[in-house]
Amino acid sequence: MTTATTTAPAPAPVTSPPGASWAAVSALARFETRKLLTRVPVLVAFTVYVAWTVWRTRVSFDGFPALQDADRATQDGPLLVGLAVLLSVNQAVLRSRRHDTERHLAVLVLPRWGRTVAHLLSVGAAALVTAVCVGGQFAWEALKPGAVGHGSPAELLVGPLSVLLLGGFGVLLALLVTAPFAAPLLIVLLLFLATFLTGFAPDGWTRWLMPSVGEYSVVTLPSDLIGRPAAWHALYLGGFALTLMAAAVLLSGGARLRTARAAAAGAVALTLVGAVGQSRGVPETVTEARVQASVTPEKLHTCVERDATTYCAFPEWEPRTGAWAAAVDDVRALAGGDARNRPLVVRQRVEARYGLEADATLAPLTRPGEVTVGTAWGGNRVPEFAVAVAGVLVTGSEATAGELCDGRTVTVMWLALAGRPDPVADLRRVRIDDSDTGSAIVVSRTEPLQMTSAQTELLRELLELPRDRAAAKVKAGWAELTAPKVTTDRVAQVLGLEKPEGENECR
Amino acid sequence: MSPTVSASGLSLRYGATRALDDVSLRLSPGVTGLLGPNGAGKTTLLRVLATAVPADRGAFTVLGHDPGTARGRQEVRRRLGYLPQTPGFHPDFTAFEFVDYVAILKELTDRAARHREVRRVLDEVGLGDVRGKRIRKLSGGMRQRVALAAALAGDPAFLVLDEPTVGLDPEQRMRFRELIATAGEGRTVLLSTHQTEDVAMLCHRVVVLAGGTVRFDGTPAELTARAAGRVWSSEGRDPGALAGWRTGLGTFRNVGDPPPGADLLEPTLEDGYLLTLDGAAAEVTA
Amino acid sequence: MPVTGIRAAGDTPVREARRGALLTLVRPVARTVPWRALVAGGALGLLAAAVPRLSGGEVTPWAGVNALRAAALCCALGAAFLLDDPARQTTAAVPVRRVLRHALRCALVLPPAAAWWTAAVLLVPEEARPPAGDVTVEAATALALALAGAAFAVRRLGADRPGQGVAASLLVTGVLAPLLTPADWALFTVPGDPRWADGHGHWRLLLCAALLAAAVCCTEPARRRTLRTLRSPSRT
Repeated sequence: MTTATTTAPAPAPVTSPPGASWAAVSALARFETRKLLTRVPVLVAFTVYVAWTVWRTRVSFDGFPALQDADRATQDGPLLVGLAVLLSVNQAVLRSRRHDTERHLAVLVLPRWGRTVAHLLSVGAAALVTAVCVGGQFAWEALKPGAVGHGSPAELLVGPLSVLLLGGFGVLLALLVTAPFAAPLLIVLLLFLATFLTGFAPDGWTRWLMPSVGEYSVVTLPSDLIGRPAAWHALYLGGFALTLMAAAVLLSGGARLRTARAAAAGAVALTLVGAVGQSRGVPETVTEARVQASVTPEKLHTCVERDATTYCAFPEWEPRTGAWAAAVDDVRALAGGDARNRPLVVRQRVEARYGLEADATLAPLTRPGEVTVGTAWGGNRVPEFAVAVAGVLVTGSEATAGELCDGRTVTVMWLALAGRPDPVADLRRVRIDDSDTGSAIVVSRTEPLQMTSAQTELLRELLELPRDRAAAKVKAGWAELTAPKVTTDRVAQVLGLEKPEGENECR
Repeated sequence: MSPTVSASGLSLRYGATRALDDVSLRLSPGVTGLLGPNGAGKTTLLRVLATAVPADRGAFTVLGHDPGTARGRQEVRRRLGYLPQTPGFHPDFTAFEFVDYVAILKELTDRAARHREVRRVLDEVGLGDVRGKRIRKLSGGMRQRVALAAALAGDPAFLVLDEPTVGLDPEQRMRFRELIATAGEGRTVLLSTHQTEDVAMLCHRVVVLAGGTVRFDGTPAELTARAAGRVWSSEGRDPGALAGWRTGLGTFRNVGDPPPGADLLEPTLEDGYLLTLDGAAAEVTA
Repeated sequence: MPVTGIRAAGDTPVREARRGALLTLVRPVARTVPWRALVAGGALGLLAAAVPRLSGGEVTPWAGVNALRAAALCCALGAAFLLDDPARQTTAAVPVRRVLRHALRCALVLPPAAAWWTAAVLLVPEEARPPAGDVTVEAATALALALAGAAFAVRRLGADRPGQGVAASLLVTGVLAPLLTPADWALFTVPGDPRWADGHGHWRLLLCAALLAAAVCCTEPARRRTLRTLRSPSRT
């Protein structure tokens, strides 16, 4: 061990180049980010969020997402992450007080507001990770082969901005209340008030003050008819988050910085602009467009002709024509008479006049040879559409198919289901009570269809036959099977099956 | 004198770390110093002997009781004073209230006698004048003395002190030495420290702990004697020395194996301690 | 040393000394209880319980039961700080057992907590009030979980102030439990739900488990029970 001699050259004074303190802040921010992202609550929240999202996205929208719905579906999960970030960043800011290092840290080069900025940047990093998760979820939906429509970037921003907002709140809270129990207690109260208030005030501009605003219906609209003030809301959320963050910087000794005060003022302005913008309701142009889309969709449709069928759909749904055509071809393949190549028009319709607030059934089309198809697809929608196609092929029009109350029901249902991979399962899926015996209502996009016990019994008998044999019988008796007012017993006779014993009254 | 504490084969692991590895020792009345580098296991050994944490293996008795049973541990704790390395306080209590609180926890239930005892220990540590002050208002050295008073309350027969002189100024440290020396009269005191001069001045026995094992157990004179003939003076730093530094006189003081004909110096306890730590040759002399 | 005779325990029965110590401990321990956390938890809990009544409109049973659940969680979060004791190291090796010290803290807090809970239940309008016994079991479970967590942190980690960590874990549990517990446990049902009774059977089981865990964690092991020592007991 040698002692330093006085003649040794003194180390060159470390002069900080201008902006060095920002380098320090960013280095500290990286440190805080690593700490924040490895805190147990944050890890748990991310794990649960990602697992839940993956588990749900595997089967979401029955594999046929409309991206204008899929973007909204990314908003709720990040709230969990946001709460964890609120809690953890709050504890991180309180750390120096709790372990009594504040006295030491207070005399270091980096000012207190610099440490606050580092904490805020760590929240930003958590928001970025959330954004990656949200992007991944949305990309997965968009890459599904059945995806249609357009997502809104503003809706996608809501998740990450919620994390930013809650995290900013956590930092600000730690500066206002230094007790370690404040954050957990406030989270409980926030959660409770959030669930309680959404339960109470479903409408009005107040609901847009919440970070994530859900909708009450599952109807899928064309993206230009959604009418949600998504961009305003993202602006509001971003402005609010920035306001809280700027307030935190000001509170921790940054009040002398002109930039901090300017940022605070700007953030408040953004928040107000966003809040006012999002409270103005649905714009008139959207309301008019909704009426037009609901009443005269033909004017908006683009039509594609395939074989004898014309598919007219809103432009965003054009890629789905193939899926519809497959279902139509399955039904036509089983039909007899001229039904195999009679011209048919598949027309996409939607009831958009109530926006996303309510589902409404559509009135059946009265023009012959026209079938309604909805905006959703996949799952139960496929056999439902097949029933509608079969109904039009057998009775001529949707309106008459809706009033059907005779033996033709059996033919309609058989045509719709026999081509499906598991007809009996699909039968349960289209019936409102999920039954496969007895009488029931058959769900449809337009008027529901009724099945009596006898018809159900006969249909099950017919479905049990080998498909080719059944098809041959149906084609052979096609004229009689599709004649108006044919009785169920007569249908059984034509098909050479036992007369059904069940009750046979339409209600 | 018969030993008040005798331990054999004490072992304790924290995960993969061996904090204590087969430690055996016997303590008798008087002050025993426990020396060792940071991380040697000193605090762990003290916590085990103070019954604050049970050992994984090994057995020990304190004043004839086995702390490995719930009943035995109670008996030990009734006769124990423990000053932890980082004592904590209720900052809103006054010094008197805090020591009184600890005294109640030591089952001193007779109010008048207890208050007398609390006043006595506070006087003993020199805090008689500030006993009505809240702990948050006391300086670091005073807080340390409050903790010592709490350890002394109830006249324990076995006193475990974990680095009590850390952070004290020389005068306070002198005062503490006095206190500990007084406490060592008739009691068994185990004192963990980094200060070799504390040990040289206070202790009749010294134990050196490193890597969780006992490297030396004997009198301070014996530890000093280990360095006899292994400290020498030279004009420059001797390359063969384990440690060497330039003294104020301008010559170098070297510790290690001296070259033939070296100018030998009088060893200190610290020299013996340094050589003990370095030696793979360390052997237990007890 | 002139101190013979101050220790009442000297020759008198140990139990008497312990009882004496407990009684004299009440006042100082009451001062060490972190009342601020408890009062904050209680106050916010009362606020949550009062929200349905304050909102003016008709109160649904759903709102009533969830207000009480939020209140109970607030109270439990406050109680997570109950065992915070900055002087834990200094009092690590005293003869008054840890279980008694913990029990004393709980006993001090229990009467005000009971009064508080009664007030919270009464704050919910009668038509929306869930069955008091059942919802009390839920609240007691949350409280017991908080105390068990704090006692575990003290026993296992030797933490001085386990409150913050325990409150965070409790909160994470409280938020995730309604999302992740299997639906057939029916823990978070609304009064009138046919599964309410079944669900509260499960709550009772949980309460017993939490109380048992808390009791076990309050003890101080005299020996370490590791797998290794079980296999080969001490070599002596």
